Amino acid sequence: MDQTYLALYPFIPQASEHVKGLGISVDRLLESRAFESARIRGKERIIEALEGTLTKPYPETLDETSFMIELLSYPFSRILLSCIDDNYLTRRYALKEAESSSTLLSQSDSQFLIEFSTEFGINIKPVTSTLFLLHFTDYLHLSSNMKELEWKLVNRKMDYGNVSLSQRDLARLLQEAIKFKIQDSLPLELSSELCEQLEPYLKEIKAKLEERKKNFERIDTSEVDTDSFPPCVKYAISQVKSGSNLPHSMRFAMTSFLLNIGMSVDEVVNMFNISPDFDEEKTRYQIEHIAGATGNTYKPPSCNTMKTYGNCFGEDKLCTKLSHPLTYYKRKQWLTSKQDSNQSETKDESGNEDSDDGIKE
Amino acid sequence: MDSRTRSYIKKKFKSYYNNFPLYLPHDFKDREWGFILLDEAFNAFMRRHKSFGSEGELHEYLTSMIPAHCYYSVAYYKYPSAANMSDKGWSGSDLIFDLDADHLPNAPNNYSEMLDNVKVETLRLYDFLTKDFGFSEDDIQIIFSGGRGYHIHITEDNIKDLDSNQRREVIDYLSAKGLNLSHLFHHKRFVPELQKDGDDLDLNINSGWRKRLNAYIISYLQDSLDSSNALEVLTSHKGIGERKASMIIDLCKDKKELNKIKEGNFNSLFNIDKNLILSIAEQGIEKIRLNIDEPVTADIKRLIRLPGSLHGGSGLKVIPLTYSQLKDFNPLVDAIVFNETPTLINIQTEQKFELNGMKFDLDVGIQEIPEFAAIYLMCRGVAEHES
Repeated sequence: MDQTYLALYPFIPQASEHVKGLGISVDRLLESRAFESARIRGKERIIEALEGTLTKPYPETLDETSFMIELLSYPFSRILLSCIDDNYLTRRYALKEAESSSTLLSQSDSQFLIEFSTEFGINIKPVTSTLFLLHFTDYLHLSSNMKELEWKLVNRKMDYGNVSLSQRDLARLLQEAIKFKIQDSLPLELSSELCEQLEPYLKEIKAKLEERKKNFERIDTSEVDTDSFPPCVKYAISQVKSGSNLPHSMRFAMTSFLLNIGMSVDEVVNMFNISPDFDEEKTRYQIEHIAGATGNTYKPPSCNTMKTYGNCFGEDKLCTKLSHPLTYYKRKQWLTSKQDSNQSETKDESGNEDSDDGIKE
Repeated sequence: MDSRTRSYIKKKFKSYYNNFPLYLPHDFKDREWGFILLDEAFNAFMRRHKSFGSEGELHEYLTSMIPAHCYYSVAYYKYPSAANMSDKGWSGSDLIFDLDADHLPNAPNNYSEMLDNVKVETLRLYDFLTKDFGFSEDDIQIIFSGGRGYHIHITEDNIKDLDSNQRREVIDYLSAKGLNLSHLFHHKRFVPELQKDGDDLDLNINSGWRKRLNAYIISYLQDSLDSSNALEVLTSHKGIGERKASMIIDLCKDKKELNKIKEGNFNSLFNIDKNLILSIAEQGIEKIRLNIDEPVTADIKRLIRLPGSLHGGSGLKVIPLTYSQLKDFNPLVDAIVFNETPTLINIQTEQKFELNGMKFDLDVGIQEIPEFAAIYLMCRGVAEHES
């Protein structure tokens, strides 16, 4: 039986079954000299993901040894990722593993695509060798983070609940499925002793990770830069901090702004903690509502709307050039980073290829 | 509503709840319930986070508390009565659509016309739900809201775990939001990368929005051809001169070509003028798209009116309907539960309306009118009970 695909797609249940069947203990995987190549490859997978592309071996060149290295390197990668347990790193790894799998899948035959989909619990119905049907609910589960218009359900051909997909479409959707699966399966629960033992591997990855993060940190939205807030939001925050009550429209504007630039619900709840009528449950409920169930759904109101409701305070020069508080924030950050980069050379790499932050236009 | 009116309405609602069967939602034990009581209706205070373990408990609540408005959650929870939303343990939600007269363009002022329009919209939604989304009749419950429109509840298992964003995609589909004609028409001239991908998808060209727009374009072309001024109709489009217009007319007269178009192959039309087809399609979108309240569908924890209950703002019954019942349904007759006993009320502003097949044109002051109409006006807050 041809098992090559287990090494190419080591995250599928069959692959982990196969590894289990080999009867190799975690200790042996971590310590035995026999598996040193697998461990090195495991570390490399992560470094490759950080650097850009996770390479997969050519199926034709896999011999028994390289098959084992490839197959066993994956659980080792997962152990390393779990020890570091960095959200960005995990997501980046999941994305890159999924991307390179998708490239391979788009070249596979339809029979294999169907089997592969089944492994993921996705019920694909083939119509011809290159046309497939997928129930729209499955389609939505897989596509809802994909922002391009062509993936919107309204632009798909749908008949009696089934969405038509080309082979390329299917491979792209499977990429999402793979990404979710890897993300959701991490981190593993590991003892700190075990991680300490792996420090030599971890050190190298951590260094690469730091390097990468440094490159985009100043523009990364997860780091909130209060200096770049527009005057209206600054005003709202100062009102809250001084114990005044905000009108509902202003509360909404401020909350949706803060959520959109990457603050968590908890952080925003804490900002209101000082409000005189603070009721944590109610506040949390409202903020979660603004945040939506899965991401930042509501956009803050535009400058025009802010003016209409009398919530535009302290308009400055930059305000007059744009029409939305979020644009203000981004522009201001960009201006600041441009000033800084005149002093030191930095590259504006956002590092956010995987735009999973759920902001939908 | 003064206290005398309130106690009259209470008595009437109570006798309704005592005598009529309830419609229980699927898995009612897993739902959160909310009520606005008649005494508290003026500030819309809702008593929520309730749950009922049996039909009897719910019945007892209705007949003893006599709510003006009854709601249950579209969501299923592990602990529906937890006071805290995050402690309820959400396990899924029905898919809900809210068609309200207020959301339709060019809404008439007249209540009955308004309801007619929204019924047409509801029938159109039903068509989308069965054909495009493939829901079976058994999974679709249509409900007259007792107010200004209809709700559709879908209880199929597949949809229960859709999140808010995914539900918004369903709404976007129905309202054609983000619809991109170039992708839809899949024409090589617009989408160069398709040349590589082959034409596989064309096998399924007659589905979804494409199918609806195909039909619209074909009937548009045929209608213009049948009219005496085909040339005029076509040249009214931007960029269409007489030469192109006659080419289109000739094309549509050619049986073979027309069949190709009917099969969804628009290449020859595109070759004459792609913008014409796109502009007819744009028109079609405006005619075909639905107007549905998006926040209701996207809210997976929403409370929705209980079928079989009374709407405290109209005194009309919230009625579940099948598709064929909806076709012949007249809410202003069929949703009336009260009788014709002459009832004395004091009307505060002039009232003109139709109810139960009767036309009312009432002046301010004390009048005697049938009970069903009296309750309608009292619930709407424009009359008080006199005795």
